[in-house]
Amino acid sequence: MAIENPSKRLFTNGLVVTQKVFVRSRNGDASKVVREHYLRDDIPCLSKGCTYCQNILKPDPEGNFVHFTLSATPLSLEGLAHHYLVLDTNIILHAIDLIESSSIFFDVVIPQTVLEEVRNRSFPIYTRIRSLVRSDEKRFAVFHNDFHQDCYVYRNPSESMNDRNDRAIRQFCQWFQLHLSTYQDKDHYSPIQVVFLCNDRDSREKAKKEGILSKSLFEYIDYFPNANDLKDLIPNYDDEPSNDFSKNKHQITYPEYYSTAKLMGGLKNATLYQGIVNVSPYNFLEGQVSVPNLSKPLLILGRESLNRAFNGDQVVVELLPKEKWKKPSSLIMEDDVVNANDNADDDDSEDNKNNKTISISETERKLLIYEALKTQNADPNSESSVILPTAKVVGIVKRNWRPFVGQISSHSIDLNDLKSNSTKSCFVALMDKSLPKVRIRTRRMKELIGKRIVISIDSWPINSKYPQGHFVRSLGEIESVEAETEALLLEYGVEYKPFSKNVLDCLPKEGHSWKVPQDLNADELIKKRKDLRDRLVCSIDPPGCVDIDDALHARRLPNGNWEVGVHIADVTHFVKPNTPLDAEGASRATSVYLVDKRIDMLPLLLGTDLCSLKPYVDRFSFSVIWELDDDANIINVDYTKSIIKSREAFSYEQAQLRIDDKNNQDELTNGMRALLQLSIKLKQKRLDAGALNLASPEVKVHMDSETYDPSEVEVKKLLATNSLVEEFMLLANISVARKIYSSFEQTAMLRRHGDPPATNFTLLNQMLKVRKNMHISLENSKALADSLDNCVDPKDPYFNTLLRIMSTRCMLAAEYFISGSFSYPEFKHYGLAVDIYTHFTSPIRRYCDVVAHRQLAAAIGYESLDIIHRDKNKMDLIAKNINKRHRNAQFAGRASIEYYVGQVMKNNESSEEGYVIKIFSNGIVVLVPKFGVESLIKLESLGDPNSAVFDEDNFELSFKNKKNVKRTVAVFDRVIVQVKSVFDERTSKRKAELVLV
Amino acid sequence: MSRQEIYSPEGLRVDGRRWNEIRRLSCKINTHPISCDGSSYLQIGNTKVMTMVHGPIEPKNKSSLLQDRAYLTVNLNIPSFSFFNATTNKKLSKNSKKILELQVSLVNIFQDLIILKNYPRTQIIINTIVLNQDGSLISSIINSISLALIDSGISMYDYISSVNCGLFNSKFPILDLNYLEELDLPFLTIAIIGKSENVSFLLLENNLPLDALEKILAISISGSHRIKDLMDNQVKKSSKLRIKSINEQSIN
Ligand SMILES: [Zn+2]
Repeated sequence: MAIENPSKRLFTNGLVVTQKVFVRSRNGDASKVVREHYLRDDIPCLSKGCTYCQNILKPDPEGNFVHFTLSATPLSLEGLAHHYLVLDTNIILHAIDLIESSSIFFDVVIPQTVLEEVRNRSFPIYTRIRSLVRSDEKRFAVFHNDFHQDCYVYRNPSESMNDRNDRAIRQFCQWFQLHLSTYQDKDHYSPIQVVFLCNDRDSREKAKKEGILSKSLFEYIDYFPNANDLKDLIPNYDDEPSNDFSKNKHQITYPEYYSTAKLMGGLKNATLYQGIVNVSPYNFLEGQVSVPNLSKPLLILGRESLNRAFNGDQVVVELLPKEKWKKPSSLIMEDDVVNANDNADDDDSEDNKNNKTISISETERKLLIYEALKTQNADPNSESSVILPTAKVVGIVKRNWRPFVGQISSHSIDLNDLKSNSTKSCFVALMDKSLPKVRIRTRRMKELIGKRIVISIDSWPINSKYPQGHFVRSLGEIESVEAETEALLLEYGVEYKPFSKNVLDCLPKEGHSWKVPQDLNADELIKKRKDLRDRLVCSIDPPGCVDIDDALHARRLPNGNWEVGVHIADVTHFVKPNTPLDAEGASRATSVYLVDKRIDMLPLLLGTDLCSLKPYVDRFSFSVIWELDDDANIINVDYTKSIIKSREAFSYEQAQLRIDDKNNQDELTNGMRALLQLSIKLKQKRLDAGALNLASPEVKVHMDSETYDPSEVEVKKLLATNSLVEEFMLLANISVARKIYSSFEQTAMLRRHGDPPATNFTLLNQMLKVRKNMHISLENSKALADSLDNCVDPKDPYFNTLLRIMSTRCMLAAEYFISGSFSYPEFKHYGLAVDIYTHFTSPIRRYCDVVAHRQLAAAIGYESLDIIHRDKNKMDLIAKNINKRHRNAQFAGRASIEYYVGQVMKNNESSEEGYVIKIFSNGIVVLVPKFGVESLIKLESLGDPNSAVFDEDNFELSFKNKKNVKRTVAVFDRVIVQVKSVFDERTSKRKAELVLV
Repeated sequence: MSRQEIYSPEGLRVDGRRWNEIRRLSCKINTHPISCDGSSYLQIGNTKVMTMVHGPIEPKNKSSLLQDRAYLTVNLNIPSFSFFNATTNKKLSKNSKKILELQVSLVNIFQDLIILKNYPRTQIIINTIVLNQDGSLISSIINSISLALIDSGISMYDYISSVNCGLFNSKFPILDLNYLEELDLPFLTIAIIGKSENVSFLLLENNLPLDALEKILAISISGSHRIKDLMDNQVKKSSKLRIKSINEQSIN
């Protein structure tokens, strides 16, 4: 509620002060707030064609002037003269994808009133608009009309805030048109029209009366020659009658959400709970919500209880009465299987029939929560522990909607419809199985069938069984490399667009011809660098590596010890904090490696050239230099920014050959031999301390060099030189971690790996004991490593590797963190068996390393550390983002391998060795090491389900196979399976299918 | 998260000012000519502060008697109704550590400024009450005391003027913060003697990068000078009025 106080006072020249008075209520208390509000006359209109505003500019603190963005000759269309667009809030909120697209919407002015409304309604859309304004490519400008003395409007008594804002926007349009016709340079340019885009009919009417040219989105798009194609991209809920989905407005399928006041009240007196919905990947009608106070999540069962919540939405839930508490279901439910026959044009309300409202009083509800606590804490063996408290969603705090990838589900369409070009409804099945299908309307159904498409969700009305969305763009044919790659990048939220202009503007002007300066006394910073160009440095990487992060050298010191240097690309020399380049790197957080593609964290110029420690040229680097004795004990360590010149870039194999060739006795090779010897000792020390040597079935896809068809899958091999590099990188990371922690006790960027909970290993140990009479000890990592070494089956050399793969899955994931968030003993890296660890050695492709570089540079007094890396909250956000991006990058990489492995198997069906790793009463899970795939083989495909006997204690399943011969399989058994790849109609994805031979 | 942009890319702040603009400042002296020896009322934006100076007077008790100079006391009163948002901010209650600390700082600032040795064996009492808060609280208090002392005619070396300055995005200095900006930005408060560059007081309670300090100091000093000029104008204007009215009285 706001009461405007229309008292204005002239302050100094061009500045008028007024008061904004409003009443704010928070937690039920009302308080009056008075804020000063200054109105001015020196806000430029930012049009390049304006002759007045160039003269009223004021500099910013760095002496720069605002940049004029709007073109002097904006777009003209048939029937519409040269024009600037002014966008209304509803257009931005609903059609942001369209606004961002590169074909329409140029020279756009966003009034401050609109920007603030957008910011309050959706922060992500606000940031998207801000980045459009920043990038300059589409010539977007923000005009602060609420601070302009001719545009500011006072709120009338009895006028709602919305109406006042609408009036302010219209006032701005009027002023802007007048301003342009007064001050535009008419000698050189044709007159410019202001067009107000607004989807609210009422507002348009008023605008017309006030002499403002206003159009709806549809009307505006109609001016374009390709209007019909563009219309598909328009979201689904403006006031155009053709787009009206909900014909049956009276039918209500879902319970209504509670009012905000009721939600706030309920959260406050603890009858309602807030949390994030986690929908089961196996059952789209079952979700869980973790809430504070309860140790286990609440179960949400069924469409009605989920009440339109999406996986990942932040929701408010209410407990259900005790008689409705249930076990989590053990069924697999997939949307298309259950609701395959829903008609995209209908809304059925059959779920509504048995919807009896059960009312419980407030007190009962409070008792319920004690019950819930009691049930959750009950003895794990008793029957009641299986029953979980259930809840229903009563409000949505924040939607987790983003662009989704999917495909039109073929049985939602009438094939006869394809002939006509009119708008049709259809369902889109999303790639993420935990999400419901989405209804869209499109004119281009014929083209879109069999394509991967991106859609955006617009709304989920109460009377519609499915959410409604609109088509955004097509990625290409299903199963084509381009479409699948882009789809998985989108699904895992990997930013893969080319770097924007303002990011690229941060790169050195010299481009590829940038060189290390000749004069080493040029400035204060370069004087602090150590000239290490006389050291015989070389790099060892995978073949074809272009982004060389690290290089090494070793030389004998006069006292008989070794000087060993690890030199890391000096990325932070180019990536300075608080630049668009740094912001982009921080948000990408990691480079993503797919089978055939790499998505870089930093622009190519840095990654593959200026930072890359290429041979034969001078490069800036950040060096860690140790003095090691012959047993690889650290005598001394020194950190310095430096200049190096790499003598050679080896691949692992080349390096190995060079070391093995006894005839090579030059200094460089001898240095490498020394490194190898030292690395073997380092590794031994690490293993003695209890470092783990775990395995994951890492596979590599070979591409046919001519056609780029994937032709073969190979499990990755390791050479001694691999571990040479690895050992020194580990040593550098550990040394740096200690140094930055000693300087920044609260905010050092570190990496930890927690102890695995013993319960994770219970099942594995039981299986080992029964089947192999072996045991994995868990007292500490040393015991674990030793016991893993002892688990050897002489008859099966692969068994040990298999066990390591299975153990890996019982481990926790390592994570980045800020030193202030944990106590020192918790810094421990379990897998490496060290007390403290960080990532320092790959700043080209990981943002953690960039931060570590800056912190180390500050710790050695090279330059001061930016405030964002000293602020605990900001650092926490950085660490969280890095962890998330890192995880997604791993998922995307794995999905990419999975896709290619599927393509390889499509061409060669074969029989392979596999291992049984899990056993159920109705099937077995088999892992095929050669392809790194695993799959469930259901009992029905093994043989006669009725004959099956499941021996749970011995992990054995016996059954009569198809030939009616009795067969027994047990866990860890080696089996031969037929591997083929099948196309899953529902997800349109290939997956491996195994058949026991 | 705040609902508005603290400093927009177009260079405007939440209340429409640019980075180096101070708020509307109005002040009066001699507001309470009868009840005290010197008084002032100062308003910058919506922050309103009133000060009354008593003295030099005979000390109330012997313990506050110094042989060679006057004894200076500062009493600060920040009532709860003055808070921007009365429900959420109750940090500064009377006699809280923060107030006591502030009083000591104020004594330290002004005992170097007032020529105390001119008034041996007396006491000077400064009472300040904050009527409304909207940022820049401490600078407003310092400015108001400075004005009241001038009104009282107690001899002092020069004006003391104060302003605060924040840092946006570790990069842009922002002068004279209001309440909303103080919530979001790290800032320092500085007090300057006259038109010099002598810093008599500097208060920094958040983290500021060291390399930005010089920039902020330069801007704060010029801001303080501007405030000094504004106060000086007001003092001269009201002095003229008073002289005029005294002359009129003497004619009558
Ligand atoms: Zn203009």
